[in-house]
Amino acid sequence: MSYDTVIELRKLVRYYTMGDETVKALDSVDLDIGRGEYVSIVGPSGSGKTTLFNLIGGLDKPTEGNVFIDGVDISQLDAYELAWLRCRKIGYIFQSFNLIQVLTALENVALPTVFAGTPHDEGLKKAEKLLASVGLGKRIHHRPSELSAGQQQRVAIARALANDPAIILADEPTGNLDLQTGIEIIDLLHGLNKMKGLTLVAATHDLKMIKASDRIVWMRDGQIEKIERG
Amino acid sequence: MSGEKRMVYFTVRDAYRLGIGYIRRRFQRTAINVASIALANSFLTSLILTDLFYATYNKFQGGSIGVDAYQYWLVAVALIVSVVGITNAMLISVYERYREIGTMKCIGALDQHILMLFLIESIIQGAAGGVIGFIFGVVAAIVSSGFTTGFDIILKIPAISLLGYLLGTTFLSVMLSIIASIYPAWRASKLPPVEALSYEL
Repeated sequence: MSYDTVIELRKLVRYYTMGDETVKALDSVDLDIGRGEYVSIVGPSGSGKTTLFNLIGGLDKPTEGNVFIDGVDISQLDAYELAWLRCRKIGYIFQSFNLIQVLTALENVALPTVFAGTPHDEGLKKAEKLLASVGLGKRIHHRPSELSAGQQQRVAIARALANDPAIILADEPTGNLDLQTGIEIIDLLHGLNKMKGLTLVAATHDLKMIKASDRIVWMRDGQIEKIERG
Repeated sequence: MSGEKRMVYFTVRDAYRLGIGYIRRRFQRTAINVASIALANSFLTSLILTDLFYATYNKFQGGSIGVDAYQYWLVAVALIVSVVGITNAMLISVYERYREIGTMKCIGALDQHILMLFLIESIIQGAAGGVIGFIFGVVAAIVSSGFTTGFDIILKIPAISLLGYLLGTTFLSVMLSIIASIYPAWRASKLPPVEALSYEL
């Protein structure tokens, strides 16, 4: 087990039962992702991208097999440890941003720091800095409904960074954005990956995102079809 | 992941802060819950106080008027209706916030944090409804019994006993609000994050 590997998937299987039918969303997936690597997960819808995203992120439990994050098998973690992992180790970015609508940009970004136990003022200060770093320094008191899609995704990226995670998981981060905004978001993510050494795992359809990545994992029918160097 | 203690934090103060945010910015739904509690409590308060006014009147003026017992049954029904109404409103509020609950779990919230968030909101609503209802109840009692007992009857009631009723009925309102919210809050807290995140309203 190398310490440079941050995510290890071993014989990962996830079945869903729909009535009498068993759907094999993931069927024996093995994958190692290195620290600081930028990996795109690509495949048609229903190929298991989102299931993989959920399993790596500790949002769902595998039917069989293991997910190791920093050498720790996350299926062995209790609810507290799992919450800690989601809070401190992993930052999530979604296609539909998933910001808390009643909170301002600043409060949204500061929310993960609350769960990390950061003092209130310190968390707000950090959130302000992060928002400035994603280019939203002037709109910190706006609520999501008052921001454009691209700006909302920037807030979501800042939120994902709030507790200095080792891993950023992104599920179709440019899926709801126009071309130009999408390019800006990709540049932002790519920059974070390169400059901060963040491990970036993105499920995507977006060719521009795929091109920027170090490795491309092609999924089909719940299995890895092929892995390409970017 | 070694060495460091793996803990997540969400204090009552954090929940209060967030709860106030929800209440302020989703004011309409909150207002309906508060109004429901306030209505029930004003009914209860006005009945209790009318009873008290009549008793005081009887004592000082030697009358023999009273409140019919069946009216207390009506109040009990009003309280139950209010509880059911709040449960319904809170369930809708949980559905509306499915994605947000999933998101909160992604950034470190435990089940009990979600539970606490919803319960604190219901406590705030219950307390607000209780106090508002009490004020309306006092006014209603004075107006309805004043013509019989004289409007200065309120002056003959010791302030301490009014305060007692305020605290008592507000406490009852908070309890009712909590009872009404336990099931919705519990459902919200048990949501698996994946399901909550993929929910389309």
